[in-house]
Amino acid sequence: MKFYYFHLMPYVMDHDEPSSWVTLSNRYYDPKVGQQLYNQYLDQLEYAEKLGWDGLCVNEHHQNCYGTMPSPNVMAAMLARRTSRAKLAILGNGLPLRENPLRIAEEIAMLDVVSGGRVISGFVRGISAEYFSTAMNPTHSRERFYEAAELILRAWTEEGPFPFDGKYYRYPYVNPWPRPLQKPHPPVWCPSQGSSETVEWAAKRRFPYLMVFTPIKRIAQIYGEYREACERYGYTASRYQLTVNVPIAVAPTDAKARELAQKHVMWVFNVGLRMHPPFWRPPGYLTEASLRRLLATSPKLPSELTFEEADREGYLVYGSPATVRDKLRVFSDELRAGILCSGMSGGSREETLEMMELFAREVMPHFREDAHVDETAGVGR
Amino acid sequence: MTVERRELSVRGTPIHLLTAGAGPALLFLHGAGGAGRWLPFQERLAKSFTVYFPSHPGHGGSPDASWIEHISDLAFHYLDLLDELGLDRVHLVGASFGGWIGAELATMVSHRLQSLVLIDPVGIKVDGWIYPFLFGMDVPEVVATVFHNPMAALALAPPDQSIETLALQYRQGAALARVSWNPYLYDPLLRRRLARITAPTLVCWGAHDRLAPLVPCSETWRKEIPGARLQVFADSGHVPHLEEPAAVAEAVIDFCRPETGAR
Repeated sequence: MKFYYFHLMPYVMDHDEPSSWVTLSNRYYDPKVGQQLYNQYLDQLEYAEKLGWDGLCVNEHHQNCYGTMPSPNVMAAMLARRTSRAKLAILGNGLPLRENPLRIAEEIAMLDVVSGGRVISGFVRGISAEYFSTAMNPTHSRERFYEAAELILRAWTEEGPFPFDGKYYRYPYVNPWPRPLQKPHPPVWCPSQGSSETVEWAAKRRFPYLMVFTPIKRIAQIYGEYREACERYGYTASRYQLTVNVPIAVAPTDAKARELAQKHVMWVFNVGLRMHPPFWRPPGYLTEASLRRLLATSPKLPSELTFEEADREGYLVYGSPATVRDKLRVFSDELRAGILCSGMSGGSREETLEMMELFAREVMPHFREDAHVDETAGVGR
Repeated sequence: MTVERRELSVRGTPIHLLTAGAGPALLFLHGAGGAGRWLPFQERLAKSFTVYFPSHPGHGGSPDASWIEHISDLAFHYLDLLDELGLDRVHLVGASFGGWIGAELATMVSHRLQSLVLIDPVGIKVDGWIYPFLFGMDVPEVVATVFHNPMAALALAPPDQSIETLALQYRQGAALARVSWNPYLYDPLLRRRLARITAPTLVCWGAHDRLAPLVPCSETWRKEIPGARLQVFADSGHVPHLEEPAAVAEAVIDFCRPETGAR
């Protein structure tokens, strides 16, 4: 299994406001603290490469304390020059949120060229709240996503200049300089929460599917749907098309790991993802079919998850190295996920780096049967 | 009063239509959440008019129509409905979002309107005012913004919390968002065009409207529509036809003077 170090770059804080998104006033943001945090987080990502992680993940979110990376490409640019081996997984750019998605084709190509072809380009729609913070019309989200993806893929693969005349995006000249280094283009990933339309779209194009913060039973179900869709499109999914993002807390003992997970992982769910209810469900963001499926299962809001529930349903992994190894076997052997993206927090800068060292020393080596395999060969394009 | 409910196809777009009463034709265009709600306001109007009360596509019993992407699509849709119903001229009454559609329509074919009544319309950019973003509000916040008398909101309350009801609400929200998310609740081109309206126009306004306040919104509408008259309802918020139905109905009847036929 491949290991990617995943970062949200949260602005960790406690507050009593009804929402950590959109309306949480930025008066709470202290740039001096932000400076410390950004640099601490970038240190972690760089250190992860040294410790043996195969990839480093950054991602886009707006107007919240959950993740302070409105531009993931900026963070990837910093990592491109400070690392030399790890994949740089941008998970991803919110395509429909852009007025000019050609800019994404350009920036990803720049990063791919500078990094010597290490970029993985996530295509996302942006989560619900982002339609409030960018004012983009959520009823256009899906159509804009498909159209922007088509534009970017063509911009990477077709010789320019050519005209593009879509419903939302129109260009007389598509001809970006530079072109990406990887051929035919950097691998594309689809981070998602399991809408059947996205599963279908990704499977058809061999784009890896990344489940983010999802209970383990649902991951198994969506992986099943994805694998089945791949068979329908005439091929068998590579395990590197099935990726998962699950937070991990590892410590010398189970008890210590539990304490850290309770404090730091649960902050992400309970505070980071605390959202004023209307921000979860902008009109038209979901198809009516997806909405009905959601209403029928009525999953708990992350802010209402207790640690016991999160633990029981597999939203997170924690324990001593031996326990974590056992729990990860579920991902590697039962779910047959090829890539595990995980963020870690031990609280302080030092404690987090120690946690990473422990994981790299006592967990990672037990999952390295595929050390010689390039996980991006033949997938994502 | 017996209210006739029927489905019909308007240039290929299926809709649900309520009809009742007798007398000159009056087309009522509802606001968000008002689809298919035959309430005391409509009941009173139907004593003096033949009231046609369609649900906008995607609202109430009318299926979603994905071709409707701009407010002018809805205005054209209602022109098609007038043709479908064989109505040459009508009195048009539009509330809130329905007032916006009515104003768009009036700028296109004022000659087909015997009169125009706009009840707390949205749809234009008013200097010095930004409409509060209802899509970002939960139900209590919406009620507090829209109603001066929150008891009046009960008339629009959903019957239950079933998946069917929630899916309908989501569909209505999406149909509304498609034409009004950004720019939010207005068409940048409409305000300048209001000067083309020649139909006699009554602008009704709730004194305590917090979505589109009396000052500065009502005054802007009154000034932009030539000869428009303004009538203020002292005990209402954004929806006077729900909060003071009898008084607003009387104002409409008085303004349109159906007993003398066309005005």
